[in-house]
Amino acid sequence: MSLLSVDNLSIGYETKNGMVKAVDGISFSLEKGRPLGFVGESGCGKTTIGMTLMGLLPDNAKILSGSVRFQTQDLVRLTEDQWRSVRGKDIAMIFQAAMNALNPVYRVDDQVREAILAHRPDISDKELNHRIRELFELVEIPYERIHDYPHEYSGGMKQRVIIAMALACQPQVIIADEPTTALDVIVQDQILEELRAIQSKLNTGLIFISHDIAVVASICEDICVMYGGQIVETGTRKEVFSSPRHPYTKTLLGSYLSLDNEEHIIIPDMRESADLTLASGCCRFQANCTACDAACKSDQPTWIDISPTHKALCCDAGIIRNPHD
Amino acid sequence: MTNYDPDKHPLIEMKGVTKAYNPRKGFFGRKGNKVLALNDIDLNIHKGEIFGLVGQSGSGKTTTGRLLVKLEDPTHGKIRLKGELINDLGGKPLQHFRSKVQMIFQDPYQSLNPHLSIAETISEPLVVHGIGSPESRREKVIQTLETVGLRPGKAFYNHYPHQLSGGQRQRVAVARAIVLDPEFIVADEPTSMLDATIAIQLLRLLSRIRDEFGMTFLFITHNLAAAKYLCDRVAVIHEGHIVEVNTAENIIRNPEHPYTKKLIKVQPGFRF
Repeated sequence: MSLLSVDNLSIGYETKNGMVKAVDGISFSLEKGRPLGFVGESGCGKTTIGMTLMGLLPDNAKILSGSVRFQTQDLVRLTEDQWRSVRGKDIAMIFQAAMNALNPVYRVDDQVREAILAHRPDISDKELNHRIRELFELVEIPYERIHDYPHEYSGGMKQRVIIAMALACQPQVIIADEPTTALDVIVQDQILEELRAIQSKLNTGLIFISHDIAVVASICEDICVMYGGQIVETGTRKEVFSSPRHPYTKTLLGSYLSLDNEEHIIIPDMRESADLTLASGCCRFQANCTACDAACKSDQPTWIDISPTHKALCCDAGIIRNPHD
Repeated sequence: MTNYDPDKHPLIEMKGVTKAYNPRKGFFGRKGNKVLALNDIDLNIHKGEIFGLVGQSGSGKTTTGRLLVKLEDPTHGKIRLKGELINDLGGKPLQHFRSKVQMIFQDPYQSLNPHLSIAETISEPLVVHGIGSPESRREKVIQTLETVGLRPGKAFYNHYPHQLSGGQRQRVAVARAIVLDPEFIVADEPTSMLDATIAIQLLRLLSRIRDEFGMTFLFITHNLAAAKYLCDRVAVIHEGHIVEVNTAENIIRNPEHPYTKKLIKVQPGFRF
């Protein structure tokens, strides 16, 4: 059985121009020990998914439909009180901005201590100190630095503390939302290495959210590519990156600059951002799609299978089944 | 600056440039530790070149950019534009210098004034330098908007920054930088806040502007792949020292300095 399974989840934000559907009918499941990556550009709904799984949606957000099964409960139906016993304990999050996620007036070890005490108020002092020591060892922060304040840490070290905090209660699911975006490449490489090591050691469920496809590729076994609130393509890492089928995935991979792909760069002509006010189920990529025809405007896209694990959402099975452009 | 020969002098010349900051003045005015952001840097940028400056955060790459547009002055060393020393410029010559060098900042959400319309933002440099009449300025702004790919220019003329996406804002920042027809533009991580699909379009735009107007660029980035895509030559900067200068191709193929090797090793990729 999957650790976490999401079925037909839709989330809208109430704005003064009406309801904006940030997440439109997405389904996925997370397996233990198989990190799942969400990749897409800003505004595609990937952070909204993370916030839903943490019960941290802002007040103007509304879950319109769908369910999130975790253990025996449906997370969508939890009250704020019930959330408090899940959040941080069973499901924990590594936040994006390490610079802002730590409280500047508390010592870092006290902040990690607080995270443990919140869920285990009766833990003994000895055990608590032992656990803190263990956590800082796990994220490779030297013991003599744990009484420091956040401003005495570098960006990479702060991010390590955030990771230690997320791991504090041995959660079953960790959600990492752009954990390396604010860091430069060298530190990013170290943090990713750390995450990989911790993940294989603790064998937790990991959901990794990023706009950077290479970062997702280096961590995750399974990939979901998102556009305009929909998952448009999903599959194993190898399937999605070496044989992308959806026009958006091709654009995304084609425009990514790495050291060895200069000849293959496609300059996309993305004029419009995704229209999130469209009716549910419509293809949101149509305004920017090069393969699109009139039928795409009226038809609802369907999931087209390429392999048992690899599928894409499109109106035209011909486009998806054709491995070449 | 009248008799400048691009074959004789580089457009930009930095010689022995050092920049020190005093981060902590001390509580009672005691002397704190000096931080050397740049340590004895030599750099030449030729006319029409897109020159990349690659390094990690804290390496001094942004400081270099700020010195070249004279937002700050070096502690030691000389900086020349077209063979002419800019260290001690003031008054009229400084004003002239300001019209010749421009900067594009990293974050288009913070670098544009939200109270100014796109037209006001782009025409402000023209007004400051007293160029043209209101009508000719309007003409120039619309023309510049179209140059940076915001077409039709009239449609964007009266917009405000909040009505634009990140990519469009950065194009406005580019338009503001090129409206005075400067000789030299410093682009400080102009794509790091943008999504890959938008970033690549902006890189293409910068390279088109170089080809069309012969402007010279300093492109500051932490992304070696972007530097390779855009730049003619690349300098790798590490802890205030320039450790290597070469064509991007050569740097990536035969990195000489251990730091460069490390930088190449950690560049993400996704080939399987």
